[in-house]
Amino acid sequence: MNIGKSLTLLIVAAALTYPLVPQSSDYIIHVMTLAMVYMILAMGLNIVPGFCGLLDLGYVGFYGIGAYTAGLLTIHYDMSFWVIVPLAALNGALWGALLGAPTLRLTGDYFAIVTFGFSELVVLFLTNEIWLTRGPLGLPGIQPITVNLTWLNDAWYFQFYDKTPNFYVVALLVGLVFFIMRRMEDSRLGRAWYAIREDPLAAASCGVNILNYKVIAFAISAAIGAVGGCFYARWSMFLSPDMFKFWESFLVLCMVVLGGLGNIKGALVGAVILVCLGEVLREVLTSFGLPPETRFMAYGLIMVLIMRFKPAGFFPAIASSGRSNPLLLDLQKRLAARNAPKEEPRDAAA
Amino acid sequence: MLEQQLINGLTLGLIYALIAVGYTMVYGVIQLINFAHGEIYMLGAFFCVTFITAAGMPFYVAILMAIICCMLCGILLDIIAYRPLRKAPRLAALITAIGMSIFLQNVALIIWGSRSRPFPQAALPSFFREKALVMGDVSLTWLQLFIFAVAIIMMIGLYLTINKTRIGTAMRALAQNKTAASLMGINVNYVISFTFALGSAMGAVAGILVSVYYNTLYPTMGYTAGVKAFAAAVLGGIGSVPGAMVGGVVLGVAEALGAGYVSSLYRDGVAYAVMIAVIIFRPSGILGRSVVDKA
Repeated sequence: MNIGKSLTLLIVAAALTYPLVPQSSDYIIHVMTLAMVYMILAMGLNIVPGFCGLLDLGYVGFYGIGAYTAGLLTIHYDMSFWVIVPLAALNGALWGALLGAPTLRLTGDYFAIVTFGFSELVVLFLTNEIWLTRGPLGLPGIQPITVNLTWLNDAWYFQFYDKTPNFYVVALLVGLVFFIMRRMEDSRLGRAWYAIREDPLAAASCGVNILNYKVIAFAISAAIGAVGGCFYARWSMFLSPDMFKFWESFLVLCMVVLGGLGNIKGALVGAVILVCLGEVLREVLTSFGLPPETRFMAYGLIMVLIMRFKPAGFFPAIASSGRSNPLLLDLQKRLAARNAPKEEPRDAAA
Repeated sequence: MLEQQLINGLTLGLIYALIAVGYTMVYGVIQLINFAHGEIYMLGAFFCVTFITAAGMPFYVAILMAIICCMLCGILLDIIAYRPLRKAPRLAALITAIGMSIFLQNVALIIWGSRSRPFPQAALPSFFREKALVMGDVSLTWLQLFIFAVAIIMMIGLYLTINKTRIGTAMRALAQNKTAASLMGINVNYVISFTFALGSAMGAVAGILVSVYYNTLYPTMGYTAGVKAFAAAVLGGIGSVPGAMVGGVVLGVAEALGAGYVSSLYRDGVAYAVMIAVIIFRPSGILGRSVVDKA
């Protein structure tokens, strides 16, 4: 095991045990939980622009759908969190597929704009359908996640409950999503996505059904976003349409791009960096007496600078020029080997 | 009722058209959705008000100064943010554009504060609020007539610039084929800067007209207006200047009718729904030619 890997494991282990330390600060636990929410979102968003090369500006729409699904189910039906998560994911995937199926034929900017319009429509729906969402008043009184820990002795139970089990629930979700992403990356699915990103024409001529794979990517990405929203609803115990404005989509996109498009670990690092940067900037700027808007200004500027000097982010995915990509070459070789016998007679005829 | 809605819709539509023209010109020439264009529109309104209140300029002079400032902002935006990325992937340029939009919006929030402010009424010509024409329930104010006149004059001016001047010919050549145009001796960067300046001037005028029409301006006003203008540009066929004009008017009228007869809550939703529908069913828009995606 190399040093980098051991160090990463050490940091992860330290972060995971931190809430059990009696002197742990609630603020730090809060920030870590927030960072993990964004990790889920960044990993989910990474699928569409990172793996497929399509800019999705409406990711927050699925996040909002997941959050409101969870919030409403909790309030009206008092369901367990573990029942709600798959339901919210399904609902997210459904909307992802519904939006994706007709629009994923579009390329580049057009697709970005359609997704953007979709997320704006979601916010309008949440604001105006007052009978369902209470509109701008927001949705208060969502029960937090409870974990039954009666088997622990009193002292441990108290300590654990006091720090809220949310931290471990979201850590579990991050682990789950990370695992799924890693499995997908190396599967047929992931290879098809890479091929589409690098050269759609080559991928299509290798027999990849571009539209199907794109819709699957979009639906999975939406489902993961909805899971993030689901946790967020139960954690914050309050939802309002304002939380799901375009700004959030942009923030998650910043995380993905900063970490490195198409790189799962990059998305995790990007989420941690930007959440921490947000907190640090807030502290620093308020101590200088500057208004909070300077923070968003800084984000915008950082994004421009990253694009200018590091367009592929800090941990770029595999070589992004079409021809030299080993994954694509591998795919082409395999498909060529499989199709080779069938093509012989045609050559003979010619 | 219907006639009044049509008049209101037409007023808004002409303003959308003015902003949409800025989007569509930039898209036509460098294939970039300039997300920060809505912020230029907002800056136009704020510059104008600041020149009136802080520098005590008369209304028309302040408009002229605001236009000049916005043209400079547009050119600077191109030079600082977009020019270094001319050869970068489309995704990078698009993200930069969003970054610049958020940056400018928050700069304005810091400078002018987040509260919306009224347009200084004392500086306006007094006849603006008077009715020019009253027929039964329907009325048309002088301000609306002024907006019609300004928008139409600017559109005609733009049409003549693009079709009858040397620089307009260069712009059209660039939109066709950048490499070929540069081989013919066209200074590509100069023409692109000119395009940004022209689009920004139209955007600034639109911002001023809207803030006078609604008697309010706020630093986040560029966001929705930008989206709607973009929807108008898409509706008319992105890259096509007459298309943007038609799209703006159609969208304004659709919005006024939608708000009047369907639901005023989804007023902004009309633009998004129209945009999504057009992109799905007719990506080339009403007047657009079908474009080959060069991503």
